[in-house]
Amino acid sequence: MGSAIELTQVSKSFDTVDGAVHAFGPADLTIAPGEFVSLLGPSGCGKSTVILMIAGLLAPSHGAIRVNDRPVVGPQTAIGIMFQDNTLVPWRTVRGNIELQLELRALDKQRYAERITRMIKAVRLDGFAERQPFELSGGMQQRAAFCQALVHEPDTLLLDEPLGKLDAMTREGIRVDLQALWLERRPTVVFVTHSIEEAIQLSSKICVITPRPGLIDRVIDIDLPWPRNLEVKKSPTFASYLGMIQEIFHGYGVF
Amino acid sequence: MATASFESGAAETANRSRALRAALRRLAAKLARSWPFIAFFVGFFLFWEYSIDWFGIPAYILPKPSEIVTKSAADFDRLLYYTYVTGVETVLGYVAAVIVAVPLGLAIAFSSILRRTIYPFFVSIEMTPKIAFAPLFISWLGFGLLPKVIIVFLVCFFPIVLNAILAFGSLPEELERFVRATGAGPLRSFMKVRLPAAMPQCFVGFKYAAINATVGATIAEFIGSDQGLGFYIQIVTGNMRPDLAFAGIFLLTLLGLSLFGIVTVCERLAIPWHISQRRRH
Repeated sequence: MGSAIELTQVSKSFDTVDGAVHAFGPADLTIAPGEFVSLLGPSGCGKSTVILMIAGLLAPSHGAIRVNDRPVVGPQTAIGIMFQDNTLVPWRTVRGNIELQLELRALDKQRYAERITRMIKAVRLDGFAERQPFELSGGMQQRAAFCQALVHEPDTLLLDEPLGKLDAMTREGIRVDLQALWLERRPTVVFVTHSIEEAIQLSSKICVITPRPGLIDRVIDIDLPWPRNLEVKKSPTFASYLGMIQEIFHGYGVF
Repeated sequence: MATASFESGAAETANRSRALRAALRRLAAKLARSWPFIAFFVGFFLFWEYSIDWFGIPAYILPKPSEIVTKSAADFDRLLYYTYVTGVETVLGYVAAVIVAVPLGLAIAFSSILRRTIYPFFVSIEMTPKIAFAPLFISWLGFGLLPKVIIVFLVCFFPIVLNAILAFGSLPEELERFVRATGAGPLRSFMKVRLPAAMPQCFVGFKYAAINATVGATIAEFIGSDQGLGFYIQIVTGNMRPDLAFAGIFLLTLLGLSLFGIVTVCERLAIPWHISQRRRH
């Protein structure tokens, strides 16, 4: 079971030459262990900032964040993070990149050898373990990055638009993989996206964030059966969630 | 029995001739790719060789390539020794520059106080032609090896240090965050990520410095020396022997090419994964 995450009156502004830019908040948010929460909002609404603050990679300007009831003061090493641009390094193979996560954490590679092989197979990269990242397509790279982010068995995943740069078909494939993994292990997932459909398909809860400065305007529980396959996506309930959230963003003047 | 051995012998011959054919094919492919360069190179020297007679240029102005080779052969021992002298100056200065500049670049990249003090100082010195210091070093340190090594060092140092600062200071933000999120210590994150990530940009500096190293050595020898190829070129030019001067110039070129070649090989070994090193088909 994953971590519990709690944001209390968290806000962030950045100092720039033109003065402080208010990027996010103040906002409260409580994420229960094992939830899949999407932060859904337009570009520049501070979604990624929230992820970085939860990870302890960026300090909030005001407010407090607690993970498993402990205040976040530095990098949270027990979690797994995935960014929009993957963190595969070009001098290592796919397997070597996955091992990099372990090596940086001073974990025993041998103990994870079998797990890595299994993960590579699970994301359909078997036969590519010894290839360099540049030999892979964008979708394959992102699936390798997915293994890299998860190899140390984190119980909490922070995913910052990991599918943002992929084509629609590849995205769909990886969404299915991600959902299968979540259903199996029930980590806490915080997932940043600007795709409404993606958020509905994957999440147990969606936080709708307003354009800058980002505020959590609505928290919507998505009550749809799992796994959310094609059948579920064609259902009228799915469509009504879609319509409702589209209307919210239309109200913001986003589209 | 006899048939069997005959057959295996025939198979072996067939194998060998297949391997030979493959090797020939590779050679032919290589030639097919580089023949324009070879043709240009040969054409250039042929034109030089025959235009001397056509235009009636006297040998004391511009000698024929063939004369450069035959005449300089008589002075072979001296040329060889001077190549060694200039080579030592060049390599010592270059290696010293690499050894000092890379750690310094690293320190500047990670220290905000150094970045605000030494870095702008280096950037402004980069604008100074380092060669301008050469007469001073000769007057301070005499005609020996040391002032030449220092001048080569100065010429090589700045491109290496500036590229090293850039290299160590420009880890992609997401990679930086990835490393921090693992909680890895400074040494571990340096060895596993920062150092390999910095290598390609460091090699930009190494190669640029390698190109300039022989320039430093040659000019230092022009200014004050009693041996070396720079010294040689100056003396033989004064004696109206452009053939020997050209021999010196060719050897300097060879020296520069060798240094650059070694650095390029090191680059290929150090960063075979980098986009600049991938084989083009």
